[in-house]
Amino acid sequence: MDLGLIIGSLPALARGAAMTLFVSLTAIALGLVLGMLLSFARMSENRWLSAAARFYISALRGIPILVLLLMVFYLLPAVGLEAPPLVAAIAALTLNTAAFQAEIYRGGFAVIPPGQIEAARVLGLGETRIKTRILIPQVIWLVTPALVNEIIVLLKNSSLVSVIAVTELMRVSQQLVSKTYKPTEVYLAACLLYVLMNLCLSALGSRLRRRIGGASAGGRP
Amino acid sequence: MTHLLPRRLAVPLAACLLAVCCLAAAHARADLLDDVKKKGEIVIGTEAAFPPFEFVEDGKIVGYSADLLELVMKDLPGVKVRRLDIPWQGILPGLAAGKFDYIVTSVTATKERSERYALSLPIADATVALLVKADSAIKTPDDAAGKTVASQTGSAQLQALKGLDEKLKSAGKGLGQIREYVGFDEAYADLAAGRVDAVAQSFPNLADAVKKRPDTFRIITPPFGPKVYFSWAARKDADSKSLAAFFDAGLKKLNESGKMKELQVKWFGFEMPVPADALPEPVQ
Repeated sequence: MDLGLIIGSLPALARGAAMTLFVSLTAIALGLVLGMLLSFARMSENRWLSAAARFYISALRGIPILVLLLMVFYLLPAVGLEAPPLVAAIAALTLNTAAFQAEIYRGGFAVIPPGQIEAARVLGLGETRIKTRILIPQVIWLVTPALVNEIIVLLKNSSLVSVIAVTELMRVSQQLVSKTYKPTEVYLAACLLYVLMNLCLSALGSRLRRRIGGASAGGRP
Repeated sequence: MTHLLPRRLAVPLAACLLAVCCLAAAHARADLLDDVKKKGEIVIGTEAAFPPFEFVEDGKIVGYSADLLELVMKDLPGVKVRRLDIPWQGILPGLAAGKFDYIVTSVTATKERSERYALSLPIADATVALLVKADSAIKTPDDAAGKTVASQTGSAQLQALKGLDEKLKSAGKGLGQIREYVGFDEAYADLAAGRVDAVAQSFPNLADAVKKRPDTFRIITPPFGPKVYFSWAARKDADSKSLAAFFDAGLKKLNESGKMKELQVKWFGFEMPVPADALPEPVQ
């Protein structure tokens, strides 16, 4: 075990980890918006809208991320759309996580007592305000544990984006291995960095949940 | 005769095809080299896990090809190089899909590739040899009969290895098993761990592996494969023609001036003369 090699590789690995975080968190944030819209579409009374959302969710959950990445990267130019590697990577991860997040949010909305919505309507609140002021804040609080789970899954899945020329933690590790011919040390260091990132994210998630919970204490079921 | 397509499908399909053609036509311009000059940027695909040709040090792609590329690009002042690192399996498909303007990575010149891509003048010798553990009983390529030998998926080295297998089979006993890896590093790691008995890879790369870990690895000389060369690659179309010619002119100049030999000594520790005027017709 060559500890000096691990320490010497840390700056390069840290740069890779920064790219990993950037790609995954951007995809999660975009996926939050798209996933929320999808879950509304899925729950919509419009039959076509609901069917379309259901189709998207089933289809995208069924495509392996590696296949989706290669499709976005290689098929888009065939129809005249040019996506640089970073954009293609974020797009593919977003498309994937949106499908999973949509189902997470749908689960969240399902547990809010319908009485709240009826009460809000009686008080004269519009549908949009009911969504933005009553439903979404509660749902986000309710689904934080599931969402943190999804972030962790996506962060790990982001190790695949190296196949379309995004140099994140995994690719940096491979580069280091091919330079040093020492896979054990390098992959061990990469492994520790992934675990460390995920521990931080999950701690952040718990804090966030406590904060949202604290801010609207009393209103919690 | 039956119709291959029902009529109600044929019309929308034709419309789609037409739309794609129009899009393609909208993309056409003077030519790729002009485009690169105008944009001031060239996008180059590289598998930066192939030392000492191309690998990463301190976040930068360095190596023999990086030095060659830098010298060639001096003739295209003002053009910035954007060099993307991508696993080998994505290199040629990425070039074909227009993801890169040019490929600067060690592409072994094969018959099949030279039919599909515009391969450059040779940059190095790519003849394949076997790498074994320092204490291995394998002394000649023929000793590999019955053993497990590794190489990279989709590589010309794998083709050469299959050739060796055929040859050994016709002499009585073929290789025990051929194992394919995504990159050569995994193959080297498994060789060191004793999971495979040998790795088939081009001679210059093996020289580097042995230089870095002399107590672990040993090369079986002489190389077993037919004489082949490493090249760079462009798309084989009218659009890429002048760009491919630009790189060929640059490589020719470096080869004739002796600069290429100098860089070979710097990165490999030995010279390997390669033809300066044309890529020899690949034999396999």
